[in-house]
Amino acid sequence: MSPISQPTSVAFNPYAENGGTILAIAGLDFAVVAGDTRQSEGYSIQTRYAPKVFRLTDKATLAVNGFAADGNIFVKTVKQRLEWYRHAHAKDMPLRAIARLIQTMLYAKRFFPYYVYNILGGIEEDGSGAVYSFDPVGSYEREACRAAGAASSLIQPFLDNQIYFKNQVAVSGTSHPKHLPILDVLSLVTDSFTSATERHIEVGDGLEIYVIVASGRSLTELSSIAGIEEVTGSASATDRVFVIRRELKKD
Amino acid sequence: MADVYNKAGFDFSNHVRNSFLQSKGVPFPKATSTGTTIVGCLFKDGIVLGADTRATEGPIVADKNCEKIHYITDNIRCCGAGTAADTEFTTALISSNMELHALNSGRKPRVVTAMTMLKQYLFRHQGAIGAALVLGGVDSTGAHLFTVAPHGSTDKLPYVTMGSGSLAAMAVFESQWRKDLDRESAINLVSAAISAGIFNDLGSGSNVDVCVITAEGTTMLRNHVTPNERGAKEKRYKFRLGTTAWTKESVRKFVVDESVTQISVPAGGEAMDIS
Amino acid sequence: MQRLKAGEVNLGTSIMAVQFDGGVVIGADSRTTTGSYIANRVTDKLTYVHDRVYCCRSGSAADTQAVADIVHSHLQMFAQQYGTPPPVHTAASVFEKLCYDNKDNLSAGIIVAGWDKGGPSVYNIPLGGGLFKQPWAIGGSGSTYVYGYCDATYREGWGRDQTVQFVKNTLALAMSRDGSSGGTIRIAVITEDGVERLFIPGNELPTFWEGPPVPMTVVEAKKVVPTAGEGAPIEVEA
Repeated sequence: MSPISQPTSVAFNPYAENGGTILAIAGLDFAVVAGDTRQSEGYSIQTRYAPKVFRLTDKATLAVNGFAADGNIFVKTVKQRLEWYRHAHAKDMPLRAIARLIQTMLYAKRFFPYYVYNILGGIEEDGSGAVYSFDPVGSYEREACRAAGAASSLIQPFLDNQIYFKNQVAVSGTSHPKHLPILDVLSLVTDSFTSATERHIEVGDGLEIYVIVASGRSLTELSSIAGIEEVTGSASATDRVFVIRRELKKD
Repeated sequence: MADVYNKAGFDFSNHVRNSFLQSKGVPFPKATSTGTTIVGCLFKDGIVLGADTRATEGPIVADKNCEKIHYITDNIRCCGAGTAADTEFTTALISSNMELHALNSGRKPRVVTAMTMLKQYLFRHQGAIGAALVLGGVDSTGAHLFTVAPHGSTDKLPYVTMGSGSLAAMAVFESQWRKDLDRESAINLVSAAISAGIFNDLGSGSNVDVCVITAEGTTMLRNHVTPNERGAKEKRYKFRLGTTAWTKESVRKFVVDESVTQISVPAGGEAMDIS
Repeated sequence: MQRLKAGEVNLGTSIMAVQFDGGVVIGADSRTTTGSYIANRVTDKLTYVHDRVYCCRSGSAADTQAVADIVHSHLQMFAQQYGTPPPVHTAASVFEKLCYDNKDNLSAGIIVAGWDKGGPSVYNIPLGGGLFKQPWAIGGSGSTYVYGYCDATYREGWGRDQTVQFVKNTLALAMSRDGSSGGTIRIAVITEDGVERLFIPGNELPTFWEGPPVPMTVVEAKKVVPTAGEGAPIEVEA
């Protein structure tokens, strides 16, 4: 112990880290976007139900993770910009345009960033399933799958192995599939979250899985899922959005 | 000069080097911490101790079902919170010294003896040993319950909690504890206190361990409540034989072949040299 | 100056000792804190070191307990060797030596009080390890609020009951102003005849002017019946 007192920093920290994890997987003609519903700070749970996945349009769903206050404001602002687009153009903004919008919105705050990782999932204009992932200042990329947030380092390697078949040699004379069936994808998502809940203290409580299905795709597989609920916005929509809710462990 | 025998106690020979590395920005390895809820309470016939079973390394769960109620003597147990290694070694050391003390004095060990040994040991190390303990037991002078903080201070109370979940657990005790509870109610109260920690504190989780100590004996109820069993996975993740790629094949035989050659010995054996 | 080590258990404390004709009255609050958490709300800071010598502890709980334990051991040795109970001054001197020699490593403010053949006496050993004989002494973080009260109120020649009342009032005032003091008041009266312990529960502390009456209807709180049981909710009597 020094008898001389040291100066102490009293700077205000405007950011917090609120835990939780999100992930998204693109299929051939569908996309799945999921997130747990626990919101925490330090060792305390702030709420067991704070959604991190939001339906933007009937073809776009956005997951936000990191600093919850920034995330909520960001989603609110994106939704406002999309409404303005609808008023100006009388149609929903295409997915790739929403991705570019999010990039400019994030980069606009380059030196006081939104402390959030974004994952955008949905259907492109050509009817293909798509996932776009962003860093907090707007760098983005279209991918087949992405995990972000507290348990991203646990889930991403699992996804790389199961979706991209990394470190797996195919049976000789065959090749790995480019896209997985929707029920397989949903199982991978559920298993990712139940497993992350086992080993990460900030993941748990509840799971929300959004499924965005391209127009013309059969919905028979989805009808077999317990508790699935349609949340498509407009009656005239061709692409459709569903949500599946599951309980996660609460310890 | 290095001695043939190591001296007793801690080895501080790397302290200067580690401080230098730390000042240059080399991160220090993180010790496994038992995020933890541990409790103890007095009841009609003795003491009930309780603990959760989660061990953490930062935000990662290192062990889902670890044991935090440590053996001191047959009639004394100690719950540990803080740095896992410190709680394990400290309790093991005091357990050993208590056995020797009992042998030397020819008397049944007392809880205050263990408490005094623990506080003097922790005080000597000035908080560097990160062990926060709940010590309980029954001896010839009755039932005793203590907390021992890392710097060596102790408290004697009828109900105590420690660890990151101590506030959640204490809320249960402060609202529900009564004097002279019966055995079953005390076990249920301790379980409720630990459960409060498991569900409201992220540092605590998994199962409830309980230990009941009375003049008649000690009962360890390992995994008394298991409210966090893992559900079945939706997919099976078994890899087909030959999934892993390989660059080179080399086969080595582990079975040693031996051939025994019989060497003929002259009839009647070789004569002993008696010259 | 940062006196306490990080995460250390602190005796935020209001303590005092007052001499009167036949003995001494010592008193303390009962709060022990770690940061803003009350680790013990019924602490006994009046610590036995010999039959007629007690100390009041303030500062680090670990440091003051360790020092008191060592002094206790020394005084037991003294009594065995000299065949007579140790004088209060002797006890205070042992405290002083430990506190002065280890001043760089200790945060301990201790009041030693008791009775010996020379009569009652009070010794104050503040942070640096000084030793001061005083007719009354106050200590701990709460004491700063009540120096004026003590200076204005204390008189020589009080009896036991008057002295007890003085200690009770002073501590209640200190506890009401100091956030790290509180809980209950523990008092001990040390005389030639023995040590008498007094306990004042938190809801029976002396009160003084506490501001104008609160302008709202005071509703009697419903009686809460605690029930132990697995996740049992607290039952509220209608």
